Amino acid sequence: MSKNRKPVPSYREDTENTDLARRNFFKKMGLVAATGTVATIGAGKVISKQAWGGATFEDALGDFFQDHYVRMTDDEMVDALARIERKARRKFGVEIICEDTRPIPGTYFGYALNISKCRGYRDCVTACVKENNLGRDSQVQYIRVLELNEGDRNLEHSDHYYNPETVPTEGKWYLPVQCFQCDNPPCVTACPVEATWMDDDGIVVIDYNWCIGCRMCMAACPYWARHFNWTEPQIPAQELNPNTDYIGNRPRMKGVVEKCHFCSQRTRKGRQPACMEACPTGARVLGNLLDPSSDIRYILENKKIFRLKEELGTEPKFWYYTDEARARS
Amino acid sequence: MPLAALAGDDPFWLPSDKGRGLAPQVAADRFVTAPSGAPEPEFSRYDNRLPPRVPPREDQLIFYPCSQCHEFWKTNPEPRELAPVHNVGLQHGQGRLWCLVCHDQENSDKLQILRSGQVDFNESWRVCGQCHSARQKDWYYGAHGKRVYDWQGEPERYNCTHCHNPHRPPLIQRKPQPVPPVRAGLEPMQVYFSQQRLAVLEKKQAQPVENPAHE
Amino acid sequence: MSTFLHFLVDGLRPSLRGGWLYWLWMLFLLALMGVTAWNYTDQWNQGLVITGMSDQVSWGFYIANFAFFVGIAAAAVLLIIPAYIFHRQDFRSVVLIGEGLAVAAVLVAMGFVLVDIGRPDRVWHAIPLLGRFNWPASILAWDIVVLNGYLLLNIAIPMYILFKHYQGKEPDIRHYFLFLVLAMFWAISIHTVTAFVFSSAVSRPFWHTALLAPRFIVSAFTAGPALMIIVLQLIRRFTVYPIRQSIITMLALILTISMQINLFLAGSEMFTDFYHETEHAASIHYLFLGLHGFSALTIWIWTALAFNIIAVILLMIHKTRTNMVTLNIACVLAFIGIWIEKGMALVVTGFIPTPLGEIFEYSPTLQELGVSAGIYALGAFVFTILTKGGIAIELDYKISA
Repeated sequence: MSKNRKPVPSYREDTENTDLARRNFFKKMGLVAATGTVATIGAGKVISKQAWGGATFEDALGDFFQDHYVRMTDDEMVDALARIERKARRKFGVEIICEDTRPIPGTYFGYALNISKCRGYRDCVTACVKENNLGRDSQVQYIRVLELNEGDRNLEHSDHYYNPETVPTEGKWYLPVQCFQCDNPPCVTACPVEATWMDDDGIVVIDYNWCIGCRMCMAACPYWARHFNWTEPQIPAQELNPNTDYIGNRPRMKGVVEKCHFCSQRTRKGRQPACMEACPTGARVLGNLLDPSSDIRYILENKKIFRLKEELGTEPKFWYYTDEARARS
Repeated sequence: MPLAALAGDDPFWLPSDKGRGLAPQVAADRFVTAPSGAPEPEFSRYDNRLPPRVPPREDQLIFYPCSQCHEFWKTNPEPRELAPVHNVGLQHGQGRLWCLVCHDQENSDKLQILRSGQVDFNESWRVCGQCHSARQKDWYYGAHGKRVYDWQGEPERYNCTHCHNPHRPPLIQRKPQPVPPVRAGLEPMQVYFSQQRLAVLEKKQAQPVENPAHE
Repeated sequence: MSTFLHFLVDGLRPSLRGGWLYWLWMLFLLALMGVTAWNYTDQWNQGLVITGMSDQVSWGFYIANFAFFVGIAAAAVLLIIPAYIFHRQDFRSVVLIGEGLAVAAVLVAMGFVLVDIGRPDRVWHAIPLLGRFNWPASILAWDIVVLNGYLLLNIAIPMYILFKHYQGKEPDIRHYFLFLVLAMFWAISIHTVTAFVFSSAVSRPFWHTALLAPRFIVSAFTAGPALMIIVLQLIRRFTVYPIRQSIITMLALILTISMQINLFLAGSEMFTDFYHETEHAASIHYLFLGLHGFSALTIWIWTALAFNIIAVILLMIHKTRTNMVTLNIACVLAFIGIWIEKGMALVVTGFIPTPLGEIFEYSPTLQELGVSAGIYALGAFVFTILTKGGIAIELDYKISA
């Protein structure tokens, strides 16, 4: 204590009672600590069982320390993929394959949807849920089909929950919306940990093991394309799609954001995305914007096209078109 | 006549007709380019774009080859209303068309096109394109129709009749898939509010709009 | 070093001394924190599904409180400015209390963020170099930087002053004046950045207004002094620490002016949106008048507006502003009004309707409130401990000086 100290005032502890006070202090602390320890152990039991999802300690540690996708070495990626496969085996009892599909060089994806053809079946929605292992319980759906009145483009007047006996209904038109893989994505700028970014082939991807679940991207997205796993996704084992890839449709966990990724596990191998394959009317067209002879380039150059919310400057790579041809001079 | 028992105006011998609007999955290796060997004539190209490869149709037709019955009868070339046993309920062209406009008179296993001769059922798209040329151009280039399996490379596209019943082209109405769910544990919006509020909402919708921006 | 440790121990020791009311208060706070622990275990195990949030309204009660308490933290600067810039000596004695309040408020805000994120085990992903920190592009990254910096400043400066006082010396103003000035500007910045978190979202027309940051600052300068007036009266009541009435008078004046500006800005927003309603005005229409039959928030916002107007009237009349009873009423009304308006009414309304035009309403679940209770309690707990220790050292210094 400083030698400048004046006599101790009465509201401060007197030195005679210091020892007694100290003993009392430690007694109190002991009691609190004991309660605390019991509580922690009890809570720890509860937490550890669920939080690790029944994982081995090694896997849990590996998951915790896993690096960001773009920084992982090949070995780390192999380990991560193996962990994902083991987790799926533990959780669903299903053997899955998890790969790391890389973009095809020289590809830049664009998507066109023919609103003259969409009849509101929602076959795309169902196919997407099955293909991408979306949680049936957490009830995430990447695609939402809007029913609008003829001549009305105001989304506020849309009906998301239309359920007539048959579609299409007279006087309505249908507008499916999903992630548009913007070229100037507000979600990528918003993410504080860079868990989402635009990959080389134009798909805005998410590293599900890096996302911290702050949902800033969901607030920033103007198209309501990003969805959150409020709870652990439950998928019936017999419906699980075992062909997965890291950045795409591998089974995700609670607390992370996910969204349409143009079925990267399919499209990076040349296959159509599930929505395009399922659409009975052929209204959906995905293609390579860099290939001048592609279907999508013909559509963009020859059809009447528009994008949603162009005024926001997001540059979505998803166009809507009609059967009408553009006027040629 | 074996076919007499089979009546009705449903073209039951085209099995995919039941699910019109649903293109069947076809193995990617069975395709037909047309006509095999011969170069594609000028009139069926668009800016030198060749037609896409197409999955075959003939094996989808139950009673193909048609000649197994039709070689026994002479074809009556008179345009008329046909008896139910063969009447597919032609509703294409609002009376401007009848069977022998598309079907070949001499060979019942073939279709015909105006400019020159016969066309396989596998290439029935050539018939459609005679009237629907703009649509056919879109189909060549991928703005119409459904592509098979891949998004890249040589396009393989479904034939017109995979989706459109040539005798009754409008696509059928269908029940949509279920409505999107709300988050687990939450009720859909209608349930959140009392019936009273819902009644207010319905009454409001029946009234003329006050503010067009929000009604 | 040992002196510093002694300082820490002696600073915490007063927290273990107090009357039965004090212990009741502390046990009550601990009980609330226990409630939070209980509910948070559920949230850890089941995920955020125990809350009322959804894909449609993806931020709710937690972030509402976060935004509000960052404002409270920013308002601590209102004690520094009169004390050191306008050289009002009476404020010197309460600067430390204000900074203690700032620390508590920042901890509460951070606590709410921590319970809101889906994967709190991954917060290390935000550490630069170790993780991937999206600075300067992401406004949330800025928020992390400024909040932590503010916490450090508000711990370091009082700790320095108190340590010097503990040693019986007067701290050299030249050593910490720059940090005080930094703290002043930093306080404005934490709340501006928090406002930018919302106003940067072009997808939410309700938030995408230049007026949001000014509204945040002004409402912080309303709710902060309101809280401080009440807290200072409590300190006056329960300790022997002298709180001059002139401090309360000045805070009341700041509160009045800020509330007037706050109502003016709110009025400006309402005019701009309601004069000729565009599609972008759907959210504010929902808030004040309901939309398509859904109107869960209208009662709240009109109550908040009523509270604010009553408060500002009580404050503008000299008689009622100087009468402690009416002043306290005005403070409570202002605090609640701002909490509703800036907390729930701001955050939830931004999501209704969704960018695809869907109206999906939100109300916090019981468990969500349970998790929040202990975070409030944590703030009160920290503030009590800091104040107890700080006041003890200050009184000791005053007597011995």
